[in-house]
Amino acid sequence: MSKVYFSNWQGEVVDNRNVELENWTEVTAKLPVNYDRETQTKAFVGWDGFAIFQSDVDVVKLALNYARQYQEYSEACGRCTPGRWGGQILFDMIDKIARGEGEFSDLEHIKEISSTMTTTSKCEIGKTVPVPILGMIKYFEEQFIELIKEKKKSPWYELNSEKYIANVTAPCTDMCPSHVDIPGYIEGVRELDFENSLKATRQTMPLAHTCGRVCPHPCEDACRRGNLDEPISIMELKRVGADYETDHNQDWFHPDKPKKPRNDGKKVAIIGAGPAGLTAAYYLGLEGIAVTIFEELPVLGGEVAVGVPEYRMPIGKYNKDIQLVADLPTVEIITNHRVSADRLKEIEVEFDATMLGFGARLSKAIRCENEREDMDGYWGAISMLDKVNLWHKYSIGSPACEDLKDKTVVCVGGGFTSMDVVRCSIREGAKKVIMLYRRDEKTIIRNTTFEEYTEAVEEGVEFIFHSAIEKLIDKDNKLIGMVVNKYELIPDPNGGRAQLVKIDGADIEIECDYVIPAVSQACDLQILPKEWELEMTSWGTLQTNGKDYMTSRKGLFAAGDCEYGPMTIVNAVGQAKRAASVISRYIYDGKVSLLDAEIMEDHMSKLKVYNKNEKIKGWMPGLPREVSEKLETEVRRDNNQEVNLGFTAQEAQDEAERCMRCYYLGMVSV
Amino acid sequence: MSERIQHRGKLITITIDGVQCEGSFGQTILEIARANDIYIPTMCYLTKVSPITACRMCVVDVKGLDKPVLSCQEKAIDGTVITTNNDELFRHRQNIMKMYDVNHPLQCGVCDKSGECDLQNKTLEFSVNSQEFAVKEPARKKKKWGILGYDPSLCIMCEKCVHTCNEVIGSAALYVKPGGYKSIIDMKFSRCEQCGDCISVCPVGALISNEFKYTANAWESQKVPATCAHCSSGCALYYNVKNSEIADPYNKKITRVTNDSDFNYLCGAGRFGFEFENIGNGKNPKALEKVVTAIKNSNAIRFNSYITNEEAKILQILKEKIGIKLINEDANNYKNFLENYKEASGHSLYTADSKDIESSDAIIMIGSRIARDNPGIKYAVNIATKKQRAEFIYMHPLDDISLQNKYTQFIKYEAGSEEGVIALLASYLTANVTNSQKEYFDDLDIGYLSGETSVGEEELESVVKRVHRRKNKTLIIGEDLYGHENGSNIAKLVGLIDRYTDFNVMLVPSSTNTLGVSLICDLDDEISVDSKIVGYNEVGDFIISGNGDGDFQVPALNQQEGTFVDLNKKVVNTNVAITFDGYCLNDIANEFLEETVKNSIDYTVQLPIKNGFKNICFDDLRNGYNKYGEDLRGYILEAFTDDKTDINIDEVSEINTYNGTVVYRCEPLHQFNKSTAKSLQLQSNDKLRGSASFATAAKIKDGDTVNIVYNNSITTKKFKIDTTIKGTIALYPTYGDGLNNDLIASGYRFKQVQIQKVEE
Repeated sequence: MSKVYFSNWQGEVVDNRNVELENWTEVTAKLPVNYDRETQTKAFVGWDGFAIFQSDVDVVKLALNYARQYQEYSEACGRCTPGRWGGQILFDMIDKIARGEGEFSDLEHIKEISSTMTTTSKCEIGKTVPVPILGMIKYFEEQFIELIKEKKKSPWYELNSEKYIANVTAPCTDMCPSHVDIPGYIEGVRELDFENSLKATRQTMPLAHTCGRVCPHPCEDACRRGNLDEPISIMELKRVGADYETDHNQDWFHPDKPKKPRNDGKKVAIIGAGPAGLTAAYYLGLEGIAVTIFEELPVLGGEVAVGVPEYRMPIGKYNKDIQLVADLPTVEIITNHRVSADRLKEIEVEFDATMLGFGARLSKAIRCENEREDMDGYWGAISMLDKVNLWHKYSIGSPACEDLKDKTVVCVGGGFTSMDVVRCSIREGAKKVIMLYRRDEKTIIRNTTFEEYTEAVEEGVEFIFHSAIEKLIDKDNKLIGMVVNKYELIPDPNGGRAQLVKIDGADIEIECDYVIPAVSQACDLQILPKEWELEMTSWGTLQTNGKDYMTSRKGLFAAGDCEYGPMTIVNAVGQAKRAASVISRYIYDGKVSLLDAEIMEDHMSKLKVYNKNEKIKGWMPGLPREVSEKLETEVRRDNNQEVNLGFTAQEAQDEAERCMRCYYLGMVSV
Repeated sequence: MSERIQHRGKLITITIDGVQCEGSFGQTILEIARANDIYIPTMCYLTKVSPITACRMCVVDVKGLDKPVLSCQEKAIDGTVITTNNDELFRHRQNIMKMYDVNHPLQCGVCDKSGECDLQNKTLEFSVNSQEFAVKEPARKKKKWGILGYDPSLCIMCEKCVHTCNEVIGSAALYVKPGGYKSIIDMKFSRCEQCGDCISVCPVGALISNEFKYTANAWESQKVPATCAHCSSGCALYYNVKNSEIADPYNKKITRVTNDSDFNYLCGAGRFGFEFENIGNGKNPKALEKVVTAIKNSNAIRFNSYITNEEAKILQILKEKIGIKLINEDANNYKNFLENYKEASGHSLYTADSKDIESSDAIIMIGSRIARDNPGIKYAVNIATKKQRAEFIYMHPLDDISLQNKYTQFIKYEAGSEEGVIALLASYLTANVTNSQKEYFDDLDIGYLSGETSVGEEELESVVKRVHRRKNKTLIIGEDLYGHENGSNIAKLVGLIDRYTDFNVMLVPSSTNTLGVSLICDLDDEISVDSKIVGYNEVGDFIISGNGDGDFQVPALNQQEGTFVDLNKKVVNTNVAITFDGYCLNDIANEFLEETVKNSIDYTVQLPIKNGFKNICFDDLRNGYNKYGEDLRGYILEAFTDDKTDINIDEVSEINTYNGTVVYRCEPLHQFNKSTAKSLQLQSNDKLRGSASFATAAKIKDGDTVNIVYNNSITTKKFKIDTTIKGTIALYPTYGDGLNNDLIASGYRFKQVQIQKVEE
């Protein structure tokens, strides 16, 4: 809820113009009333209206600056006639009025140009910039008319006291934890300019091969196209630019030219060469800041390398993403270097800032009867996947088929890790693979993806829903079977949450050789010196404020699974990028600060950019979402060939052409 | 999942302005409208590239939808009802034109584009006769990019130039520099190949040719439809001809070349290499007598493939009439190759054309430095790498930097080892196919061949893997293979690939009408050393020339009517841009015939039907493109199939290694022959060019004058270090060499030579 002087945001008109401050009614939207801890916002202008938080705002100058910001955010506009010319005409017409030379015909021109812009513009910025401007002209008409009649300047026209801070976003970009410029990289695919596509991705996400393959794509749930027919296949389109760079052996397409190494003695330590560590190193490296990554394993890439199987994320491609980072001149990576608490203390002293990105690699327990880690046949998911992937990707260790061939494997889980476990077990030659999941099919699809679940079923994994292990049965400390309880979902007669209730007498006994628990992971906290008394979350991860990613210890930052808990790759990337930005300033001024762009990003996230009730106009409904070809089940079951063959050129182009380019411009006046 | 699952290619019907229109799913509304002759205004739409969606003019109403949709990009859905024009749509289009016209400099009086300017046309169409608002104009600096000029104040940011440069030409030199109203087009000059396709697609006067600037108005020039004479792509173009002097209506000049840029492309040679007309000195019977005598006293006529089908036919008739031999090494090698290919494949002509290449998703190219040999093919390959994201495997002894953003795999093989390479390729590609040559492939010593050619087995496995799941495959063969001493056997191996795999094959004809000559003339292999030779645009004791040198003048190719056979196996016609005041080959031939043949084009109907030509008169051949993008010129050759399978392939001969100093006959960018050499706008570059390593190995320095010795023949050239060339083979140009006996210019393109620095 937000207190406003006036707002017409998202059609909710609240007009407190003749009302006492104490009696101001609020709007439901979470508008950015407070810019940051020190500053109050005067007004907010966005794609669906505007809101004024103080009574003395110069609305004409507000409109003028919104039009000016449209001209300034050039990457998002200038690509279509109504946007390029229309935007300048809007600005010049409002400026004419604001400086006291306006005519009534100017208001008519503004309305006419706005009409063409909202109807024909290429992207949503062009279509929505006129919306709040027309709103301001409608509801604050008297301010405009006064200037025209009296031929006088608007009250704040000559002043330089306010700051107008704008931010370009999109519903998908906003939903993405890494705020990737999705419309930008899709445009690159659409116009066959793959270099620009990749550069757009890399502004906020260096691992394009990876997130183009193994992301659960929360952006697609915020895709406006979904309001019309089906969301865009956003994830699939990301790898097109990366494939171009790799296939044609091009020099790295950095988003901007990397800055020269600063060589000023400042250096940053990063613990962990997973997606969080690599991302932070990339963005610090682009700035020319010296970075050293300490990696425990002999290989780089973190859980994505040793956890995610080859058939989902070919290491050859991930290694390209890793090489992008490693090739930066100021990035140094040390492997086989497990950091203990004592070592961390040394590192902290030696470096100007330290970022922790050590992930969550301890398998949690099932918590059933007779559960013992030392039981032969009890194999934690992380440890099992380590073995599988170290062998297949790096020829380190020995093949897991020596353990699993012709065996019966039961996995307990329901998330991505459990899917990896069962599908790898199939490939390692297990004769029977069972997944036990507490909830139902719909939920497991929601927690992973439809594709992942379908492919697992096709490969022969047996899913037993609404089940949980009661106890493990062993003989001479060797697992031979288990007792499994069955549950049912009983709806709450009072309308509350449905409860899972064990069904009496429905227990089943399963004979098996292996139980692989994949019931989430915990962080290995040995690395944290106890005397630092770091603030932790209730689930055992490092606590930060989720904006600057500094822990309770000054100069110690955390990003990725070790901060959030087991989560997605893109989440780690987004957090690490923000942390790197904060660190890049912290090491010089010792302060924790956010850029205006970052403050605005957070405000937009709070406001929520995606509107699921919006009706889409101006696009042809009924164009189907493209689905890429997958390797046939018989061909892929017993090997690690990549299952998802990706889009063909035609499919990629067709899908990119469905994208509605939903850029929005949000602006605050402070 | 979507309720209505539509499939690409499925037949659909939509209603546009009340008219039922058929199309297939995957087509845009605009494409279906245009196929049915329904007009929707566009400013930024360029048929040969993907929809640009910048102008927004083409919005149309769809029944049931609240707002109009963009017809150039939206796919048509079965059953939709579309209105292309109404008051509201007109108002929006008019507003867009008002926006385009804002601050547009009123210089139609002097602007080159005036009279053929889309902005003029649409401003008139949408009745924009005043500008009612002022907009502050930023300073916009004019640019000079070599022969191209850019004036951003005239630019409407339609982005056609950027799309052409990326999707068609493949240079990706032009790019959009966004900045709201300050947006302009900018260029990475090092990438620009100065082809000029950008100026041909520019709808206004923003991108122009500096040379052409202020020389002629669009309405002054007569557009003579013709076919480019420089390479076998045979691109359709228009010579724009204007009177030179008021006093003499016969004194004309070509001011520039244009083309149907919506549909086809032209390289720099076609676009800027047009100043090669020959000046005649009238019809002098005494001169004619001399040439007739020369022919009567000669054993052979030596000619090249820069010749029309009709004139080739004339030479053939002369041969039949008086028994004179016909020497054309280029066409002879090609003819031999084609015949052996035919024997193994069963096809009288190769199976791919450039449209097949454009829609390929897997291309293997061997034996050509394609960027120089045939720009049209390079563009077609580029289109495939963009639109189909094709696998492009480029095989050659020399890497080519300009292809690096196009190929997905480069395979280097040793100069001279082409036969081994083709055998390896054929073996790997036919590995899982039952074929009558299984024994032959089983007997191949893969290890030996791999070692001698330097093509590794992993590289070949990679090729197989890359093309494995692809659907439209093309194999492109280049000129290096035709002149190889084992060309015949190589041709048969290529024929096998055609027969036993799903690859379509193109044998790129080495010169403009190589294919035509090889189908029309019986060519002779050898002549004795003491023969007397008449050269037709070639070396000889008596030289008939269209180039302004030699002993007897005849018209150049932009002064002739006639046809060529282009690399699409199409008979394409060309017309006279500038009249030639003198005799032509037909006049000479008539001196040997009982019945005079009035015009060269009377021979068009006499081209050999057994080789695929048709009984169609020249005057019945059409010109240009129709509005659907169909090339109306000429006709496609008939091809014949013969399925006999008793093919005899020879063992791969011992592979000669090319040690020492090796040069490769290869022309520089956009240069092909003495005609292009005459151009004022194309860069001339007849230096021997090599890498720094070549210079070191040959013990010469940048700027040295060197003698290049081959089999007792010596040519002298200046040497220049070219940092874009890799490896130790130098490029040896021959295009403007004049009439000398250059053995390096003939036969196999790689030659082992000695290089000696010429002391000053």
